Amino acid sequence: MEKLGVPTTPLVTRAFKDLAILNVAKRGMPHERITFTPHPVYGKPPEQLRAYVEGNDPVSGKPMMKEIVDALTVPLTDEEKKTGMVRVASGPAKFGPDTPANLQQYYHDNGMTDYLPIIVPTEEAVAEMLAGTSHKPDEPVGKMAAAAGAYPPWEYTVKQVAINAVMAGCRPEYFPVLLAMASSGQTSLSSSTNSFASAAIINGPIRDKLQMNYGIGALGPFAQPNATIGRAWLLISKNLANGGIPGDTYMGSLGNNLNYNNLIIAENEAASPWAPFHVQKGFKAEENVVSLFRGLGIVPGQGARFTSTDTPKYEEQFSDLFNVFTGLFGGLVVADPLIAQSLKERGYDTKEKLIDWLHKNTVQSVKDYKGRNFANGFDYPRALKGLEPYATWYKMPDDAMIPHWPRASDINIVVTGGQTNAFFQSANLSYSVSISIDKWM
Amino acid sequence: MKINRRNILSMLGMTPALLAGASAEAQQAKPHAQPGKASAGHAKVEGLNPKGTPPAIQLIPMAPRLGSLDGKTVYLIDTGFPGGGLLLLEIQGWFKRNMPSVNTVFKRKAGPYAEDDPELWKEIKDKGHAAIMAIGH
Repeated sequence: MEKLGVPTTPLVTRAFKDLAILNVAKRGMPHERITFTPHPVYGKPPEQLRAYVEGNDPVSGKPMMKEIVDALTVPLTDEEKKTGMVRVASGPAKFGPDTPANLQQYYHDNGMTDYLPIIVPTEEAVAEMLAGTSHKPDEPVGKMAAAAGAYPPWEYTVKQVAINAVMAGCRPEYFPVLLAMASSGQTSLSSSTNSFASAAIINGPIRDKLQMNYGIGALGPFAQPNATIGRAWLLISKNLANGGIPGDTYMGSLGNNLNYNNLIIAENEAASPWAPFHVQKGFKAEENVVSLFRGLGIVPGQGARFTSTDTPKYEEQFSDLFNVFTGLFGGLVVADPLIAQSLKERGYDTKEKLIDWLHKNTVQSVKDYKGRNFANGFDYPRALKGLEPYATWYKMPDDAMIPHWPRASDINIVVTGGQTNAFFQSANLSYSVSISIDKWM
Repeated sequence: MKINRRNILSMLGMTPALLAGASAEAQQAKPHAQPGKASAGHAKVEGLNPKGTPPAIQLIPMAPRLGSLDGKTVYLIDTGFPGGGLLLLEIQGWFKRNMPSVNTVFKRKAGPYAEDDPELWKEIKDKGHAAIMAIGH
């Protein structure tokens, strides 16, 4: 609005003070006149909100409405009229020299780690990592924002990715996977108060070359590549995108334990009766591909209905858990091969056939849909823009039934695990992109 | 961390710890000084900086202020954060009670939180004089 010549004051709740002040500066308006209110305003009765309005700005201590009026009327200072470019530094190229222990503590204290022990990224260690790719160290890899659209993106090179890969404990042969992930520009963290989680599915022969675990305990801490590739994605998201700074670029109220090393899934292609995930996305089976997801997290399937029946109808169990997921993100079923084989025997000979059933049979009433928190924040404003199916859904009667997700493609299936029992987990995660790993070898 | 807005650009330019480190809300440990005091007998090494490259900042001049709101139209923009709309309606009520010469227009922005609404922006530019935009829960 300011760019259009309209004097504006953002009205921000107290909890977002640092984020607001820093973000307007990063976007070129360091003196933007922000007015603050107590936090939260959500769920407060009108009389409480009126007291906020008639009370003081909790940051300045001055009457809030005077702050608003002044923000719009008091003439600009010379600083507020400034133009030009400001260069921003991210520190020296090296830290030290010092002992590895002291350096490690320095990385922790400056928010560059996950606060677990790291490998100090010496020039020698980074050179070894760089040997894992044919790409030059100074080649640009991509840009990543702490949250897409909310913060200006940072840039990074092959070498900068390598530094983070070393810190995470990756081996050089894992490096092309990380470069592919980094080239996506997709952060594993984001900044939402929801405390987002991320996942990556890895397909192709590289799973065996790296000795990734897709057998017993596939999602657990039982293999170096599974563990450290996911951890490196976190460090990349923190360091290369300036993400994960609580109060500035991270606002997740509870945080998310999956953020430590993300949900890394090597698909058990040999034991699955269906096409591998990357083949579904148009790649050849012999290609190495990483596919990224983001959303809220993952839950065990044991809580779904019908788990004790003699002839399990797994599709109904999947659907049962989907019903409690937010429509803000899609559904990802992570199924043991035993489940996939059972479903195939019952007629679901492709993932697509199963997904189609799930999309048609996971439904909700319009009344329930409108009552969901995300619908008001995301779908209703889309309906206001005339976007479908939201515009139609918001015109339908309350008792009409609509799909839980707009598209069948909002649902995905991946097969992994050691076949010790027929279990699954269900994730509220949306597929975003698949990237060739081979291009980064 | 206490943010001094007067110095914020120099802070962004000169202090990487501000971008990489703690905030007042997070109550993280304060960044240590650059290391260099190794204990005797331990081998010293150098560690590379894992941070990416931030973009340069293009300073944007703010819009001229109005001097007074008398007879002006102020748009109250609900960006969709829960509770923001109700707070703006209370602000609208305050203007009616305390500054009745100010015309207020309440609008819900189309599109999710951070998404632009060009039609509304044009309306405000054409018909309004100032805006208050509610952000946060």
